Amino acid sequence: MNKLDPRTKIVIILCLSTLAVVLNSPIPLLVLFVLTLVILSTFRINFIGIMFKFKKLLPLLLVMLIVQSVFAAGGETLLAYKGINILTSNGFNAALCILFRMLILFSSAMLIMTSSSKDYVLALVQLKIPYEIAFMVMVAFRFLPVFLEEIKDTLIAVQLRGVDLKRIAWGNKVKFYTHFFTPLLWSVMLKARQLAITMEARAFRVYRRRTYLRVLRYSVLDYYVMAFFLLTTIMVLFYVSLDKFSPGIFSMTDHFQLSPGKPLLTTVALPVLHCQKYKKCPDSCSSGLIKE
Amino acid sequence: MAFIDLINVSYKYPGQQRTILHDINLSIWNRGCTAVTGSNGSGKTTLSKLLLGILTPVTGLVKLNGQPLTSMTLPQIGRRIGYVFQNPDRQIFCATVEEEISFGLQNQGLSPDQVLQKVKAILDYFELTRYAHTFPLALSAGEKRRLAIAAVLALEPDLLVLDEPTAGLDPYRKRLLGDYLEKIIASHKGVVIISHDHQFIARYATRFIRLKNGQVVEGQGA
Repeated sequence: MNKLDPRTKIVIILCLSTLAVVLNSPIPLLVLFVLTLVILSTFRINFIGIMFKFKKLLPLLLVMLIVQSVFAAGGETLLAYKGINILTSNGFNAALCILFRMLILFSSAMLIMTSSSKDYVLALVQLKIPYEIAFMVMVAFRFLPVFLEEIKDTLIAVQLRGVDLKRIAWGNKVKFYTHFFTPLLWSVMLKARQLAITMEARAFRVYRRRTYLRVLRYSVLDYYVMAFFLLTTIMVLFYVSLDKFSPGIFSMTDHFQLSPGKPLLTTVALPVLHCQKYKKCPDSCSSGLIKE
Repeated sequence: MAFIDLINVSYKYPGQQRTILHDINLSIWNRGCTAVTGSNGSGKTTLSKLLLGILTPVTGLVKLNGQPLTSMTLPQIGRRIGYVFQNPDRQIFCATVEEEISFGLQNQGLSPDQVLQKVKAILDYFELTRYAHTFPLALSAGEKRRLAIAAVLALEPDLLVLDEPTAGLDPYRKRLLGDYLEKIIASHKGVVIISHDHQFIARYATRFIRLKNGQVVEGQGA
């Protein structure tokens, strides 16, 4: 599978990412995530490492869970404090959706690593993307590890000069990072300028037409894989548009009624999460949404 | 007891087959000047990062004053050991030259007057006063190196580790740096210099360590 054309890999990534964004319910997203892991294993990518890296995102997920529960209120109340819903089934579903979506997006992007950045430039050029843009994409890939390394070293230098990043308060942390990222941004700009000079010194864009030593060609497997992914994605999108995937793992139908007794937040916020269950209602409808 | 002890230390970078350092046993004292030499890729910078606890050995142990480095945080280590990176750009993170030097001093809890006094003295010594309010990354390569060294020297650590400190410095600035190092050594503090500049280290170093194929081949236990 690693020998697939880079264009096929781009199509796979696009299909997985599209589905991750379009699907709006935890179970289909979980299925898609498992599928992504299966795809990664066929490419012999060690995905177990990704799971451990996501450990750091757990506090963010917790915040999202609370934010979703408060602002996307509704569903069954799972945890409440003095009448304020801390955790609701809707919030829980929304947080799960965000988690799976992020996992799918990051995991599918790992397919990029299975070809060289040069191949992706060729692939983009052969997909009729202008060479300048394709080259910029390659430069981004090329410099990402360098910048990460630079940030790591700078953070070490900061700590060696007496700042315990683990112990500073949240307010100071924000102030510190704002302070810290300004020179970093400047350093990136300087590097970009130096790179531009180097490229121009090596005749970048002197001639309108570029020639390539190597030309990418699709194999039969590429056609099969691409057809499979495109057709599957189109089918899923079609099913989603027909509202075949239910919104969540908790039953929430009871909470969607626009009854006078329901709080305004519940009636307005819920359809945002589960809009596929609804269609636009006539102008006379105060909420703007009605159940199908 | 030595200031830093490396006991059977081996290191290889994650995902790489090659072991950079094999079974190193080395003691570093916070007195005098130790020079570390070796060809490109021999593991000099890796050794310096192990001394600071930036890297953790794959096998073996690094101790600072008898305490394993793994049990200490980087700020705790930074109070005892100063480190100047090979690439000064990576350790410059403040908005002005003055701030860059005062950053560590403020974290040491010095009063504003003391900080100001020290910053002024260091800026004067390294001839950076006229750049006090300049954005550090806009300086020339040699000036940036001087600033990186000055920012670490201001903290007066017990041991100073300098990775290629003379790269990009003109002969006059090299001599200034050398004079400052002599002052540090005279005040009973230690210096470790990693360098290819044999002339410089021959002048200031009192102990020589040479790395070859990931092992200390010369000067061990000297």
